[in-house]
Amino acid sequence: MSDVILRSENLYKRFGITTAVEDVSLEFEKGEIHGLIGENGSGKSTFCSLLCGIYPISSGRFLLEGKELKARSQVEANHHGVSIIVQEVGTLPGLTVAENIFFGEEDKFMLGIIKNARAMNREAQRLLDSYGFKHIIASKMIDNYSFEDRKLIEIVKATYINPKIVVVDETTTALSQAGREELFSVMERVKNSGNTVIFISHDLDEVIDHTDRISILRDGRLIGTVKSSETSTGELKRLMVGRELTNRYYRTDYGQSVSDVVVLTVDNVSVPGEIKNISFCLHEGEILGIGGLSECGMHEVGKAIFGASYGRSGSVTLKDGYEVKSIHGAIRHSIAYASKDRDTESIVIADSIRDNICLPSLDDVSKHAILNNRKLDSFAQKYAELMSVKMTGIDQYVSNLSGGNKQKVVLSRWLGKNSDIFVLDSPTRGIDVKVKADIYALMSELKQKGKSIIMISEELQELLGMSDRILILKNGRINGEFIRNQSLGEKDLITKMV
Amino acid sequence: MGKRSETTAVERQKRHKYLRDLMPLFGFLGIVLLFSILTGGRIIRPENLSLMFSQVYVLLIAAMGVFLIMTVGGLDFSQGSILGLASIIFCWVSSYSIVLGVIAAVLAGAAMGAFNGFFHVKFKIASFIVTICTMYFFRGLCKYITTNGPVPASTNVMMLNETWFKLLLTGIMLFLGFMVWHFTRLGCDLRAIGAGETAARFSGSRPDLLKFLVFMVSGAITGFASFINVIKVGSITGTAGSQLETQILIALVLGGMPISGGAKARFPNIIIGTLTYCVLEMSLPMVFPVPATQQLVKGIVFLIVVALTIDHESLRVIK
Repeated sequence: MSDVILRSENLYKRFGITTAVEDVSLEFEKGEIHGLIGENGSGKSTFCSLLCGIYPISSGRFLLEGKELKARSQVEANHHGVSIIVQEVGTLPGLTVAENIFFGEEDKFMLGIIKNARAMNREAQRLLDSYGFKHIIASKMIDNYSFEDRKLIEIVKATYINPKIVVVDETTTALSQAGREELFSVMERVKNSGNTVIFISHDLDEVIDHTDRISILRDGRLIGTVKSSETSTGELKRLMVGRELTNRYYRTDYGQSVSDVVVLTVDNVSVPGEIKNISFCLHEGEILGIGGLSECGMHEVGKAIFGASYGRSGSVTLKDGYEVKSIHGAIRHSIAYASKDRDTESIVIADSIRDNICLPSLDDVSKHAILNNRKLDSFAQKYAELMSVKMTGIDQYVSNLSGGNKQKVVLSRWLGKNSDIFVLDSPTRGIDVKVKADIYALMSELKQKGKSIIMISEELQELLGMSDRILILKNGRINGEFIRNQSLGEKDLITKMV
Repeated sequence: MGKRSETTAVERQKRHKYLRDLMPLFGFLGIVLLFSILTGGRIIRPENLSLMFSQVYVLLIAAMGVFLIMTVGGLDFSQGSILGLASIIFCWVSSYSIVLGVIAAVLAGAAMGAFNGFFHVKFKIASFIVTICTMYFFRGLCKYITTNGPVPASTNVMMLNETWFKLLLTGIMLFLGFMVWHFTRLGCDLRAIGAGETAARFSGSRPDLLKFLVFMVSGAITGFASFINVIKVGSITGTAGSQLETQILIALVLGGMPISGGAKARFPNIIIGTLTYCVLEMSLPMVFPVPATQQLVKGIVFLIVVALTIDHESLRVIK
């Protein structure tokens, strides 16, 4: 079956001073699912952006079925039979589901200059039904659907034209288990119809299970291609990082007792439409994991503690009796929060690393309300270095950083603030193994120092590996509680989740 | 070798960024040079310079307030009307005491600004809509009050019409503004709000409160500017201060102020922008003496200057 459909030849992409893709020559076969893995910033997303015409190629070329592929935009790539499903939201708000699916293809439904909306809706509904997404109504506005449903709509949009190449870029991080299964079955379908899927994911187990071959990128270079049936996560990690990773990934201690001192009491907290009657305590030096299905309300719990929820009832009280009612108050009383929505809620994207690190600590760094710019610089420098943020300098804008580095900036600002309670929502979402390991190590270190952590996560392994105690939410209520224990497994958690 | 070429590239990028920041300054110098040549050196003669300076003060002070508003991503079209109304109030009170008059004008300005801020924040109406409405509203009040003729200031006020005095007041205001912008957390907070309001809120800034305050302070600053305005003109008519809002906005943009605010707002934007504006405003009539074509030429010249000096890079960050 060595029927090559797509080939890249000596591909280069430079962004100013950095070379994101360096001399990559890679072959994709007909009817295969080809995994593409690498750390953050290894060039895998850039590679696909070049393929789909999102960025212009610096040098080298793509050959699709022997002919050079020169796409200057995603729509052009689409017409050549290449489509992409991206990590972040790729649908347009304010349009209907059908309009989103046929965006750029409206010509098919034109009666002269009038759009035949009914025909469009009918066709879109037929497609949705054929994928088994019957709960999505084509004529409704896309805004009515959850993040996850919008991803499913994107999948339909990307694959209904029966493209020769489908790129799935980090899509699974946005999906729940059920959504992932839907995606995998669509990928299988594409493969069985003789076309090719390029699958990018950080979840190595997932990659091994669902691909035929896997190519590994490191620092923009192709390290090698392996057969999925003949490899292991250990080997892949080694190839990605370039050295053997020690197995000290999660915590290894069990049976340690947690202090009795309660630092945070959540009492009967409800947020309309999100969570109901949530009550629990957080102890000093404890890592409390909160898990559940992605729509179970667990993300709102973090916001509610941080004073960021709208219409919250019930109370969140600290050790000293202070009741958290606003974000401003929460920060002043030593609560740190890293949102799942990193780009809009965790950091100011269009601002410098310096300002982002200093922002919560301005009152601490200033003396009698007077700021000293040199002091701010050294403050930012110190904590950025402590977290080893990869940057050209603290003046660099956060928008230029990779996902893992952005998260490092988020964490360094809270380390700088010297908070006592860390609420981390999906702290390793979309982050590569090396930075992940750094974040886990940091969490253990914070725990040793007596800081308390609430980790909200959709990844069960992470919850099991790091938490002293795990709360499972279902439909906005606490549905189960587990104490750290070696025999605890994913299955135990899942039974309380669904 | 790779390492070295990388560091020089970083240097080059830094230099490039530095040059970009200086672009409005080059624009200003270029315009001064160009019009010095076109007018045969007339614009840099002392009498013309002092004429220009007499127009700079009000604009410079009022632009400071709008600078803050634009930093958080807002716009304010009501500044001219605020200036007009605050000037009338100053005239009234100044017959009792000039100091009281200044205080009254500042308070009146603050109240009008707070009115803007309240509607913007509380009802979540875009600031340019709110301020276009209040522009008419405050202007309406001005015209109503002056139906029976202009409101004169007390004659004592006219005695203050000395260049050193106006220069001193303007200098003090700029100095205060600069200190607050650079050495308190306000500058950081406002820039962060302009760059990303939600993230700023999640970082402990209070966008709603600060936006309200910024409008109020901006009104108060313009209230203070009305003092200098009255010193200059002596009595207030119904149209006093009209066009100030557009002058301020053009001046700030000429000074390199990003229209969407955010992290790239710099205090010197105010000063360079205002000076550039005043030089253009003064020299254009000398070069194009026919009044009928002046506005036309002005529009084109402003457009060219902004297009040449604006930081295109930063505009791409806008969502």
